[in-house]
Amino acid sequence: MKKTIKISPFNRVEGDLEIKVGLEDGKVTEAYASGVMFRGFERLLKGRDPMDALVFTCRICGICSASHSTACSNALRVAFKAKMPPNAYLARNIILATEVLLNHLTHFYLFFAVDLVNKKYLGSGAHRELARRFAPFEGSSYSKFIRARTNLLGVLGLFAGKWPNTLALQPGGTTRPVNLSEIIRAKGILVEFQNFLEHDLLGSEIERWLENKNLKDIDFWMGEDGHENSDLGLFIRSAPRFGLDKIGRGPGKFLSCGGYELADGTTWLKSGYFDGEFKSFNEGKITEDIKYSWLKGYEKGRHPFEGVTEPDVDKPGAYSWAKSPRYNGNVVEVGPLARMINDRDPLVLNLVSDIGPSVYTRVLARLHEEIRLLKQLNIWLEEIDPSQPFYIKPEKPKEAEGKGLIEAARGVLGHWIIIEKDKIKNYQVITPTTWNVSPRDSHGNPGAVEEALIGTSVEDEKNPVEIAHIIRSYDPCLFCTVHALKMNKPITTFELAVQGIIKREYS
Amino acid sequence: MVNLLWLQSGCCGGSTISFLNADQPDILTALEMLGARFVWHPDLSPVMGEEVLEIFDRFKSEKERLDVLMVEGAIYHGPNGTGKYFIFHDRPFKDWILDLAKVAHYTMAIGTCSSFGGIPAASNNPMEATGLQFLHEKKGGLLGPNYMSRSGLPVINIAGCPAHPDWIVETLIALISGKLDSSGLDKYQRPKVFYSKLAHHACPRNEYYEFKASAEEYSQQGCLFENLGCKATQCESDCNERLWLGRTGSCTRGGFPCISCTSPKFPDGFVPFFETEKIGDIPTTLPLDVPKAWYVGISGLAKLACPKRLLVNAVSFKRVDVE
Repeated sequence: MKKTIKISPFNRVEGDLEIKVGLEDGKVTEAYASGVMFRGFERLLKGRDPMDALVFTCRICGICSASHSTACSNALRVAFKAKMPPNAYLARNIILATEVLLNHLTHFYLFFAVDLVNKKYLGSGAHRELARRFAPFEGSSYSKFIRARTNLLGVLGLFAGKWPNTLALQPGGTTRPVNLSEIIRAKGILVEFQNFLEHDLLGSEIERWLENKNLKDIDFWMGEDGHENSDLGLFIRSAPRFGLDKIGRGPGKFLSCGGYELADGTTWLKSGYFDGEFKSFNEGKITEDIKYSWLKGYEKGRHPFEGVTEPDVDKPGAYSWAKSPRYNGNVVEVGPLARMINDRDPLVLNLVSDIGPSVYTRVLARLHEEIRLLKQLNIWLEEIDPSQPFYIKPEKPKEAEGKGLIEAARGVLGHWIIIEKDKIKNYQVITPTTWNVSPRDSHGNPGAVEEALIGTSVEDEKNPVEIAHIIRSYDPCLFCTVHALKMNKPITTFELAVQGIIKREYS
Repeated sequence: MVNLLWLQSGCCGGSTISFLNADQPDILTALEMLGARFVWHPDLSPVMGEEVLEIFDRFKSEKERLDVLMVEGAIYHGPNGTGKYFIFHDRPFKDWILDLAKVAHYTMAIGTCSSFGGIPAASNNPMEATGLQFLHEKKGGLLGPNYMSRSGLPVINIAGCPAHPDWIVETLIALISGKLDSSGLDKYQRPKVFYSKLAHHACPRNEYYEFKASAEEYSQQGCLFENLGCKATQCESDCNERLWLGRTGSCTRGGFPCISCTSPKFPDGFVPFFETEKIGDIPTTLPLDVPKAWYVGISGLAKLACPKRLLVNAVSFKRVDVE
């Protein structure tokens, strides 16, 4: 029997999303995810002073505002040919990493884990325990996280003054030099946060968790010292039982532009494109289509430097305000899973080869990145030399162009600016969620999340929690995105080669 | 139980995130103090889809009392007054807000966007954005100049980009306990207790300000007013007294200028953001109630009297000891 269900509003994501899926005998055959709000920042910026972009673009998104500040100040840095002192690279990474730490756990505790309390799992045996910990506003872990989150904000206060919407990140570095006293305070805050991670999320020391290199290691870790009773342990116990390792595969192609720029010109997390083979990342291969967006001005894909954002609210066939970014014409997934794969993280590569991309893999990759990042954040704090500067004043050119691509919590974030006669001639932004939740492109290829939904069995159409798991596993931030896709043929095979050895089939 | 309903209109979610940043009290303690619950909050509630519309219906038909309607984000009227830039369950979102505002006991605008239009209403306002009851300084907005919620109060504007969590939490508590009436609001309907101060108050750079010892570029310790665009002497807020992020920071403590984000004229009333416009040597952005002639006289004297310690440190990124 054919049926369409609509979830509007689809909430507990950032922004406004509407989901329509077509079901045939309980299986998703069509998926429509629509970004239902137009925001038009590109239009607001046209003709303004290039520095105004620092004020405006961090306000694209309240949850990842420092990521936009980082990308924007990078685009301006390229345009201004500005230089930054080594301390600035460290301070910027500390600000960005703190935001990502906050984002990943906000996603897990406030957005994702709430679905594990869904009534579908009442008979699972674990429901009482899940509800006791993860019920919104009341769960014990939920409450503890709200307080741990608040404590961690102090790092942002010390390095960025205010958040969301700091202006501390500038093309020439950061406006906030820190002294030894402040570094010590920040370290103390991180110790407290690490205590929360170790006591509640992991139930083990982070070093012990980081010894896990494959699924077998995780199995062993679970049986050790009561780790299975931590929040992560409970998730690892529940997810396969709830089938979360079998849903939400997505396109199986993963893009990362490289995370956390270092003073030596490299990035802490490696960039790359993985489609079964590891390939290098090339910014020139990014294009955006608008065939199914309520936008006009061009046909086929365009590089963001040639991008146009002109609304066309009654455009026939369109179903989303989001554009369709593609990499070398391919639909790709971005985010922590893509970052960990391209960084060749052994644990995540093993998960992907043994289980495949899935809701479970994606959530675990995000939490694993959280743990790696906290460790690295301490190293960056240690490397700051408070006797040295944090900023070099740049000169502003009258004509220039610049691009800033960074890894935000949810994946590749790009800003492109063209400056003409001292003013912004064009400003284009591609956010991570636009990559993940894009509509079809001009070739009819669906976006990553729609593809991930197709083929999913929905047990109770009045309570389509399976769809919720899949969409939320990408941690969408809809202050950007949305659309529709039809399945031409059933997806029966999925192939993924990791390190050239392993091939698996999924039915 | 006090029923709260939080809606997100044309926004970035920044004030929701800021609300989550509350620490004294944190949001869970605040809800406990209020005896309140979010019947729905788009980021936090488990409920989605049709069930949300059922909640709206219960409020609209007054089967359930809507104690506080909290709206984050600008109201989009575009294109051409249709509201189609934001369709919520097949209807322009502005129409949902109109319905719910009719039955709300109190209506709060959370953040500068829902208060005055904010960033979406910048430039030539391509989204045709307004706040709930204002567009910039002009009264009207979506609900009209004469709107009163059931309590007899107009929209209460918790301006700020984002709003400070205390401003949201304390206003809620004051309203529910009957301690905020119209005499507690300024002409832009912001609670005076927070907005009758200046962001300049308690700025740690105030000694530099007094002696006009100014930073020449970012990352230096001097005052940001004379050269680097700081609007803290015009910005009505208690940011530097109250502090942000677990009381660890503020804009000027972060080394960047205040851009007066609590003002109805934000953002375009405060450009350029990062440098100070001057006529001769005199900034055009003088503190609101300081006569220009006096300012010129006092600052000339202050510069002459400035201790060397401040002159040197104003242009240094780290503390320099001066004998």
